[in-house]
Amino acid sequence: MNVSDSPVAEFKRGIKECLPVTIGLLPFALILGVQGSQQGISWLEMMLMTGLNFAGGSEFAAVGLWADPLPVLLIIAVTLMINTRHILMGAALTPYLKGLPLKKVLPALFFMTDESWALSLADINKRKKSGEQPFSLAYYIGVSLTVYFVWFPFAGIGAAVGPQFGDVAAWGFGMAFPAVFLVLLRSLWKGFSAALPWLVSFLTAIVVYVNIDGAWYVPAGALAGLLATYIQVGKS
Amino acid sequence: MISWASLLTILGMMAVTYFTRLIGFFALRNRTLSKRAAAVADAAPGCVLIAVIAPYFVSDKPSELIALALTVFAASRWGMLPTVLVGVVSAGVLGHLMK
Repeated sequence: MNVSDSPVAEFKRGIKECLPVTIGLLPFALILGVQGSQQGISWLEMMLMTGLNFAGGSEFAAVGLWADPLPVLLIIAVTLMINTRHILMGAALTPYLKGLPLKKVLPALFFMTDESWALSLADINKRKKSGEQPFSLAYYIGVSLTVYFVWFPFAGIGAAVGPQFGDVAAWGFGMAFPAVFLVLLRSLWKGFSAALPWLVSFLTAIVVYVNIDGAWYVPAGALAGLLATYIQVGKS
Repeated sequence: MISWASLLTILGMMAVTYFTRLIGFFALRNRTLSKRAAAVADAAPGCVLIAVIAPYFVSDKPSELIALALTVFAASRWGMLPTVLVGVVSAGVLGHLMK
């Protein structure tokens, strides 16, 4: 074990590698807060939602559905639907979490987001190649807490300052999100054959997105890709 | 500042979201995956990532499609920060020029 493997160094590495991601997150959090305030959500409600639920896609959906009287069950059901991808994400992390005690796994999974999960998976692949122990919990926590402490405070600020921030979306920050994911995809690249299921996912997601309202395109696309992998591996 | 209905909604959201985060782990932690299942689990990250960003590829704004093409190009060559900057700057500039 060398110095760079110490938990503190790994934690800091997580924060550092997450910083480009926050360029995209921060304006999204502000936009969410501003949209929330326009729907009558107070800054306290916004910070509770983003701090306790902490899953951006479902929060944008909840804000869109927010009304008086509040459709409590509908919002909860839509939240569940949108976040079904977490099941697959948690499953993908499980081989690396297995050896850890539950008192670490349970809080770690509370903070699992698209960003922390994807950065960690990419990191696992990188460390595997260099022969290190694949999963670094301290790195994951560094990424997760960075995302957390950008997300919920800035959503609260957005809700508090309201419509003055209305046009953040027009500044191009929306492109940060796919940019991050594209770089992560390249880090997972293992050749054209291994990427065929991605193409199936991609095309399925687009067809579902164009034809069906809501976030169904995420589970539909992901499952189609997994099915393609299942068939592909079975044949070979 | 906060009504019972919104508190209930937020707590419900928290409960179902945390459930989705936990269930994959609890379903699989005591199992050894077959080779085929392991291959499927291995493919999951890429499949989820690409499904999440798929809508960006069918944007109805030409400026966003061009910015996305530049971002794909950047992602195929450079690291995280330069790619994010190419994406944000090109989307912002093209968005204003092509309004």
